[in-house]
Amino acid sequence: MNFEITGSKIFYTIHTPIPVLGDFQITETLIVSWIVMVIITLLCIFLTRNLQVENISKRQAIAEMLVETANNFVRGNTGSTKFDKLIPLVATIFTTSVVSNLICLVGLRSPTADLATEAAWAVVVFVIITATKIKAGGIGGYLKGFTQPIPVLTPFNILSEFATPVSMACRHFGNILSGVVIDGLIYAALALASSAILGLIPGTVGAVLSQIPILSVGIPAVLGVYFDWFTGVMQAFIFSMLTIMYIANAAEG
Amino acid sequence: MDTQGLVGIVPWTFIAQLCNLFIQLWLIKKFLFKPVNDILEKRQKMTEAELKGAREAKEKAETMKKEYETSLSSAQAQAAEIVATAQKEAQGKADNIVKEAKEQAAQLTARAEADIAQEKKKAINEAKDTIGGLAMDIAGKVVEKEINENDHRKLIDEFINNVGEAS
Repeated sequence: MNFEITGSKIFYTIHTPIPVLGDFQITETLIVSWIVMVIITLLCIFLTRNLQVENISKRQAIAEMLVETANNFVRGNTGSTKFDKLIPLVATIFTTSVVSNLICLVGLRSPTADLATEAAWAVVVFVIITATKIKAGGIGGYLKGFTQPIPVLTPFNILSEFATPVSMACRHFGNILSGVVIDGLIYAALALASSAILGLIPGTVGAVLSQIPILSVGIPAVLGVYFDWFTGVMQAFIFSMLTIMYIANAAEG
Repeated sequence: MDTQGLVGIVPWTFIAQLCNLFIQLWLIKKFLFKPVNDILEKRQKMTEAELKGAREAKEKAETMKKEYETSLSSAQAQAAEIVATAQKEAQGKADNIVKEAKEQAAQLTARAEADIAQEKKKAINEAKDTIGGLAMDIAGKVVEKEINENDHRKLIDEFINNVGEAS
């Protein structure tokens, strides 16, 4: 039996004459991303329907709790209310990341298992970091920052500047991809194991039963608690945490 | 079905995901943050307004309490004053009445005394006349001789006057 892990499937290709970008491919990543967006948006609409000032419903309590949590998360980590504008962005990255990571539990391919997704987020964060730095110290101050503490370190400073988004994107991508790989391996291994065990039953009964990967029914769920649930939530948390920390640091420096 | 590479950034996917992030950001802002923040703000405003109202009511009540206390104490003072005035007036009236009574009594006594003195004088004069008459009769009978009544009367009056003064 061959086990193979591939990138996201291409459902449809739109030919474009643009030279560098090439053809536009509708991939699994994009389709699932849209599903994720629809889920999040519907959830938001559902939670914020019919809001009241007094006598709030459970739904509203959850919606308010989510917003308050996002506010406290950003304010607590930056220690000020200067970055309140970024609260929706951090919340968006976190929510999209969590839902994208966990959607693999229903058998879809996580959009976060495609490096392009994290790269897009990391670039946005990188742009905000740079903009914040320039805002805090002016362009001169920003450029001068690369020669600190001694001019010899300039190449390394530039390297470390670009390392920030690269490491953020790759960390998240690597963790989710490893989850995908391990899940795939476990399914394959369990299918092999169940066919081997059930194949011991003699006659046609054994032949039929060995085709059903009966061991795949419960065990992946247990392992999924760590590889999908824990990693998925953790990586989303780390990504949004780093986002706000880097931006807060940029404003100080 | 074709697949993309396992690790790699496909430019179009990158751009699409960038757009997706901003669309999602806008959607979350519009459907979660805006309504919830609006309602939180509204609630805060309401709470502040209520607090302010309560504070104002408290202040008003305290002012009213103070006013009441002031007016109550002034009323008490007024009542005390009224009582004091009334007592004074009553005392004065009583004093006047007593004084008048005393004066009246004194007047009455004086008039009575004057009456008595007049009566006495009258009585004395009457007695004088009677005694004079009697003495003339007695003297006439004793002398048995017609004397000039006028001369004798003069004499007798003198005598009785002398007696009256002496007595």
